[in-house]
Amino acid sequence: MRSSRFVPYGFAIPAKYGYSASALLLSLVCVAIIILFTGYSPLEIYQLIFIHTLNNKSRIFLALSQATPLIFTGMAFAIAYRVKIINLGGEGQLHIGGMAAAVIGAYVTGLGHVSHVFLSLAAGALAGAFVAFLIGIIKNKLGTSEVITSILFNSIIVYFTSFLCNGPLKPAGSATAQTKAVQATARLTKLVAKSQFTTAFIIAIGIAVLLYFLLNRTTLGYEMKAVGHNAVASQVQGINVSRVYLFTIMISGAIAGLCGAILVLGVNGRYVEDLSLNYGFAGLSVAALASYEPLATIVSAIVFGILKAGSFAVDRTTSIPVELVSVVQAFVVVFIAAPRMIDRLFDLVRSIFDLKKWRTKRI
Amino acid sequence: MENKKNMTTFFTQDVFYAIFLATLRMAVPLALVTLGATFSVLCGVSELGCEGMMIAGAFFGVLASYLSGSRWLGVFFAMLAGIVFAMVHGLMHVVYKVNHTISGMAVNLLASAFAPLLVKLVWNTNSITPTVDSFKTYEHTALKRIPGLSFLSEMNIFFFAVLALVCISWFYFFKTKRGFRMRSVGENPQAANTLGINVIGYKLAGVAICGALSGLGGASLSLGQLSQYVDGMTAGRGYIAMVINAFGHYRPLGSLLGALFFGFFDALQLVLQSSAIPSQFLMMLPYVVTLLIVSFGLKRIKQPAGVGKHHDN
Repeated sequence: MRSSRFVPYGFAIPAKYGYSASALLLSLVCVAIIILFTGYSPLEIYQLIFIHTLNNKSRIFLALSQATPLIFTGMAFAIAYRVKIINLGGEGQLHIGGMAAAVIGAYVTGLGHVSHVFLSLAAGALAGAFVAFLIGIIKNKLGTSEVITSILFNSIIVYFTSFLCNGPLKPAGSATAQTKAVQATARLTKLVAKSQFTTAFIIAIGIAVLLYFLLNRTTLGYEMKAVGHNAVASQVQGINVSRVYLFTIMISGAIAGLCGAILVLGVNGRYVEDLSLNYGFAGLSVAALASYEPLATIVSAIVFGILKAGSFAVDRTTSIPVELVSVVQAFVVVFIAAPRMIDRLFDLVRSIFDLKKWRTKRI
Repeated sequence: MENKKNMTTFFTQDVFYAIFLATLRMAVPLALVTLGATFSVLCGVSELGCEGMMIAGAFFGVLASYLSGSRWLGVFFAMLAGIVFAMVHGLMHVVYKVNHTISGMAVNLLASAFAPLLVKLVWNTNSITPTVDSFKTYEHTALKRIPGLSFLSEMNIFFFAVLALVCISWFYFFKTKRGFRMRSVGENPQAANTLGINVIGYKLAGVAICGALSGLGGASLSLGQLSQYVDGMTAGRGYIAMVINAFGHYRPLGSLLGALFFGFFDALQLVLQSSAIPSQFLMMLPYVVTLLIVSFGLKRIKQPAGVGKHHDN
């Protein structure tokens, strides 16, 4: 085994974040090769994505608002992965949460702003947690792996919500599949005018802090970490492992449901059929880049948010589409998952340039 | 209201024949992917990447057929693309010792990110390609004359490929030395290695075959049923294949029978589209059946013991 410190050029960073940075860099290099094939200069494209996005206030807020749903789905995947549960059902939990929030937001009347928003968000979180509860109970009682069931639940829920917004909940005279617009009292407050940057971002940060405390300062968090390291040993030590599994996946589902709710209440104002732009699966990349730490999820989601906001500009000015971002995200998962591959690559780079020799000579 | 009146006269002989034909057609991609998954599981590597390999096969098959104008080259490149994406999974899991769920999901994410990007770059359209040379209108008039088997003339080339491949893989796994070695690698890599078997080689070979067959399964959708690529056309068949695989006890023949069983629900959904039931509930049907089977029906079926374990030669 290699040492737990990652030492690229002589100074030490905690290993996991070093790997994250290298993985992000490697995926950007891989995507640069794809950009080369399209005939554009990768440097110009990356300049457009990063510099152009960050030198304008409204584009920074665009990046942050693009990052907000990713923080939620990233945290949802990360917290489940801490107990080695792979919750791929984020997409479905997001849709059912969005639908629940849309129904409460549109049909409940006579509430104040804060209470209505709170009620709608709670409905979204509960709906997501309920689906996750089903996945967890199937895992605990019947022993079925959550990987397949959560993916199957995605399809089932997406068809179910599609039925609702095409049939019973579709407002009369509407041409597209959607529900009634939510009441003004249920809309999230915009923090910056003419942007989609709403209080959702603050909620996301609040939840990240809560998760940090849950993991590091509570008994449940301790049990979660123990189960994640070694479930059998935890069972022997008297931790109720199946209870920890169930709680964790429900927390994960609730956060994914909240993501749907904030998309409905903050962005679209109603449930629309293509509510999620693949946020559920993007959560996997976000969580992997943050090495499954709740607070680091914010940073990694913002990185992807900047990429997304920047690629809107790229999409407008060149023939390279926004879909580029999802390729970066997929590559990040590949490279993060294989630290040995990164070690090998760095060994290769070192042996080519012989950095150590070069440095000792200079000193 | 029109539709409801038809419900009593709905189940006529014609409908049963239509369901029968649709079952065979829908079973073809499922059987191909499941057969691929069988190779992957029996050599001890999880089959989660099948969905991605299938997407890759479906897309690159159409791309190759579009660029070359030949459907046969399309099929060849579909299999090749499947192998390339399978090798990502294989290298990550077998060589670099990544958790098999993550490496499989990485393949799925890669393929489902690449396909829409390339559709946009090559054709400048959203999520749908123009139609290309395909096997959709493949006529074999000779088969029409066989009494009792005239339905075979309605099947395309992939159907016959499935029948041949199931026989070949059964023979490979149960009648050849190499097949037996591959199964032993899946059961107990340490023991296999002690006997001098190249464990990593067999695992990579199994994953590559899985990729080729999944790519072929994807091509059977895009070149066999539609003659174009549409985003999301695989519709989670790669995941359903994992369940069929377990349902068929991880055996080639079992995967064919399982694919027919699941193909039946796919077909039922297609044929019932004209009835009064909301289409979303019908489309949900295959997934609900899969969910019920994976939850309640697979109690006593065990994967080979070596699946998901890492091994050094």
